[in-house]
Amino acid sequence: MNRRAGVLALATVTFASLPAAAQTPDSFPPHAPSPTTLGPVRFPPFTESTLPNGMTLLVVENHSQPMLSVSLSFKAGSTRDPAGKEGVAELTAQILTKGSAKHTGDQISALIEGVGGGLSASAGADFFTISENVLSDHADVALGLLGEVSRTPALAANELEIARTQALSSLQLELSQPASIAARFFRQTIYGKNPYGRDATEASYKAITRLDVTAFAKKYLVPSGALLVMAGDVTPAQAKAWATKVFGTWRGVPPPAPAPVAAASPKTEILLINRPGSVQANIIMGNTTYGPLDSSYYATRVAMQVLGGGADARLFLILREAKGWTYGAYAGLSRYRGLGFWQATFEGRTAVADSALAEMLHQVDLLRTEAIPANELAAAKGFLVGSFPLTIETSDQVAGAVGNAKLLGLGNNYVQTYRERLNAITATQAEAAAAKALHRDHLTIVVVGDAQALYDKLKGLAPVKLMDVDGHVMAASDLNPTAAVLTIDPSQIVAHRDSFVVFVQGRALGTQVSEVRRAADSLVYEETLNFGPLGTQHTVVQMDPASYRMRQVDQTGKVNGQDALIHLVYAGGRVKGSASQPQASGTARAITVDTAASPDAHDDNALATLVPALPLAAGKTFAFGVFAAGDPAERVWTAKVIPPDTVTVPAGKFTAYRVELRGGESGLDYFITTTGPRRLVRIDVVGQPLSIQLAK
Amino acid sequence: MRVARVSLFMAILAAAPATAQQVVGSVTIDSFRLANGLQVLYAEQHATPVVTVDLWYRVGARNERPKLSGFAHLFEHMMFQGSAHVGKAEHFKYVERAGGDENGSTHDDYTNYFETLPSNRLNLALWLEADRMRSLAVTQQNLENQRQAVEEEKRLRVDNQPYAGALRASLIWPYDSTNCFAYAHPGIGVMEDLDSAKLADVQAFHDTYYAPNNTTLVVAGDFKPADLKQLVTRYFSDIPSKPAPAAVTCNYKLSPGIVERVVADSHATLPAVIRVYRIPAAADGDTPALDLLNTILGQGESSRLNVEVVRRDTAAVNASSFSVNERRGPGSLLVLGIANQGVTAARLDTLLAAQVEAIRANGVTADELTRAKNQYRAGVIESRETTFGVAEAINYYSLLFPSVSDMNTDPQRYLAVTADDIKRVAAKYLDPANATVVTVNPAGKTQSGGDQ
Repeated sequence: MNRRAGVLALATVTFASLPAAAQTPDSFPPHAPSPTTLGPVRFPPFTESTLPNGMTLLVVENHSQPMLSVSLSFKAGSTRDPAGKEGVAELTAQILTKGSAKHTGDQISALIEGVGGGLSASAGADFFTISENVLSDHADVALGLLGEVSRTPALAANELEIARTQALSSLQLELSQPASIAARFFRQTIYGKNPYGRDATEASYKAITRLDVTAFAKKYLVPSGALLVMAGDVTPAQAKAWATKVFGTWRGVPPPAPAPVAAASPKTEILLINRPGSVQANIIMGNTTYGPLDSSYYATRVAMQVLGGGADARLFLILREAKGWTYGAYAGLSRYRGLGFWQATFEGRTAVADSALAEMLHQVDLLRTEAIPANELAAAKGFLVGSFPLTIETSDQVAGAVGNAKLLGLGNNYVQTYRERLNAITATQAEAAAAKALHRDHLTIVVVGDAQALYDKLKGLAPVKLMDVDGHVMAASDLNPTAAVLTIDPSQIVAHRDSFVVFVQGRALGTQVSEVRRAADSLVYEETLNFGPLGTQHTVVQMDPASYRMRQVDQTGKVNGQDALIHLVYAGGRVKGSASQPQASGTARAITVDTAASPDAHDDNALATLVPALPLAAGKTFAFGVFAAGDPAERVWTAKVIPPDTVTVPAGKFTAYRVELRGGESGLDYFITTTGPRRLVRIDVVGQPLSIQLAK
Repeated sequence: MRVARVSLFMAILAAAPATAQQVVGSVTIDSFRLANGLQVLYAEQHATPVVTVDLWYRVGARNERPKLSGFAHLFEHMMFQGSAHVGKAEHFKYVERAGGDENGSTHDDYTNYFETLPSNRLNLALWLEADRMRSLAVTQQNLENQRQAVEEEKRLRVDNQPYAGALRASLIWPYDSTNCFAYAHPGIGVMEDLDSAKLADVQAFHDTYYAPNNTTLVVAGDFKPADLKQLVTRYFSDIPSKPAPAAVTCNYKLSPGIVERVVADSHATLPAVIRVYRIPAAADGDTPALDLLNTILGQGESSRLNVEVVRRDTAAVNASSFSVNERRGPGSLLVLGIANQGVTAARLDTLLAAQVEAIRANGVTADELTRAKNQYRAGVIESRETTFGVAEAINYYSLLFPSVSDMNTDPQRYLAVTADDIKRVAAKYLDPANATVVTVNPAGKTQSGGDQ
């Protein structure tokens, strides 16, 4: 009964069986040992059959563990989303498993978890897949649920709303990340009108209705042409029996695939997407290549591995190891059911982005025109061939590999012959494949970064097209706005006193009272801000009543227990005084101010009074000088007017322009009513959950 | 009549023997030991030509002393910086070129280093591990670089992530640093200790703990035992053994009385609550019942916490439970949640505590128990599908259980847990007097979005 003794006994036996009076071991080898003979990949057998309704069944048997992986794929994905409603396939997948004709979403979760399994659905560009894992002795429960969610999904309206909200939040996060911004522009540009280039947008998510989702499911989640893969502890007979039981009575044929749309093939160009103030630049370069059955696929794969497949590849070794310009630079080939693409990526400091891009282009040229040295070729093939078995260890992985090969039409022995085909590639073949796949004269290069710093440097490498993150073309002159004197309409500045609620994270946490009054010889703006437990702040701004030039600003208050003070006088082309700025660290920063300020520079505290009095109209942009206590010098801020929309605040609903004020430490969005005398009804601080809204 | 049928059905379900189906496949484990104390455990699996080499050094945060916190983790970083025949940061390149994966991690009771590669590169993995065990380059420059890397990792993963600091603090607050420094200090270390780490300290750490007699080497996958023995003997047998390191004890009391703490988190936007209960070490007889209780209470969409607190009460963005008990001393069971907008921490804590009390008072249903056992079984089976999963399991049982062969009998203990067992362990360990309750309050500005 003492297991321990048993194991030790075994150990003793084993140890004793080693050649005891052994020769002293050879001295430790100074070099890494060479590989021994590569073992064969004994891929488990698989069988294929077709059900009368046109569904293909693939069964991969593996009885080593009592586990079963099942996937059901349909040949329709996000490329079938209706124009303007990108995201339909994605949202349909999100909610597919959240309820059926027979069970609620909660019941489905409980049932599948209860048999030690998982059930989920996802939609890619080409395919819609429902996947599940389960303990094989409960396969009946899992397959029953698979049948329910694929044939009779509830697609409930409330689940759609939850999924939509989540998708919008994810999109917001994505759009804040420069790498994602670059990827979206890249795909759009290389594909042009081809649907592989489309991405969901805020507008498209919001446009999707439940009808769109149910129509997608009804049209595309049908048995004819679908692929059911079962991998693991199952026999072909059992699999066939289950498939027939669950799907036998299902009928349906999908619409024919739409004709492929030719992709764009733009001449080599740099698309520079302006992200002002960005300390990093993100580069993606590449072009569309060919379909999944192209004979040069293996050779291109090897070439890509040499270029940028990992830490041992050229881009990484040069751009990171040698130059220290980046944490990582890579390249790879992507395969779709239709036209695929290749890309190389880089992320690094703005200052080195142009040099990095030049080096990347140089490496593209080298790969296309020079044979790969034997050692690099061996290393690349060694990785691709060697790592392959690691990607098919589990039933789940096997189901995925086999299913993917089938869906892309790669042939039934694709998985078995993969390593041999890669291993056979020669340097000449790799070079020829690179020359074919990498279109040096039709290369799309996307750079996301601070265009002001990058524009001139990149012009030397290729023609540059300048855009903002929303895709609007910009002129180079837009990069350096020069401050102009603002035209203020006096009739828009009337004496008033407004009360606001301060919302932090959506909760009312304080109040603000703003008053504008004309004294005998000055225009005064007085603001009392009460943050509740966080503190108070009282500010008085004095301006010349005719020219609106700054005279003085005084602020007192305490925020988080620290003094918030400003005493600045604007005179004679300078601004002088002192300030105390509360810090997150807990100790306020004391500032002395004595710096040049152009006569028409405005204090940032004056903007609430002046911006509503600008000649606002949709699409207009203003640039002007601003000084904020804590800035080392005057800055140019811009105010961009977005077309009016309805804004809701405690005081009611208003039709208002959104004026985007940018150039300061935080961006500010001012919501200003369109009819005069205009009122500032709401201020949102960009990137923070802080909003000040009119109460009365 | 109807009631009787239902209860009969439930009784049948509860009694459904686990033996009716294959429980969890046994793993055949063999072993040998070198004269210098290196213990080698191995399991053959020839389905795919893949092999994992996985070393567990019996050292972790547990072994650290005051003023030297964070050393085990710092040392783990140093292990990738080169040795006599492997250049700085080349370890991972060797493995990647061979088509493999590798990594390491630091835990309370152990530090592991592992490679998974095609089976014809077993020799490479063993050579790499032997070189760094025998001749790690402990230099001032490596120490400087890795000190910075570790401090940066602390900033990235702990200091600048919402809730991360609070979570780590929660794990150490139940323990007293005088009686149990092992688990009463943060494994990532405190900046002052990391800043003042000296080369001599690091060298001493290596000499004490990175010795063959303090290590278990596990190999799982497609290989021949004779080849393994030959390679291990060749590469490891002349590494000298060292005196056994000092034992570490952790003295603690169960249910000493509730401990309450409040943390301000400048990166959090919503309040959170973390409840920590002291539970026994991994090999204890109560562990299977506690693990299943944990599943029922707070793992997965059909758990009590998700169904009641998140979906029904809409009081939390998420609420779950998990255990930290892969150690020789006591472990911890955490019940935690992030409050929804408009919900206070106090209210959330009331709801979390109520879910715990519901199980203490009324136990769990037969259906919940069956589902939890199925989830447990599925988890074990999934981990056995990969050579890495098998290797880690062998190391886990070797370190934390009386015998590595307990790996093959442990599943039966889980499947034998009854509803009464669950109620009993809930009563004993999820006692309010055994709880440390941490409230996390969002404080100050949140970080501004987006830019690097």
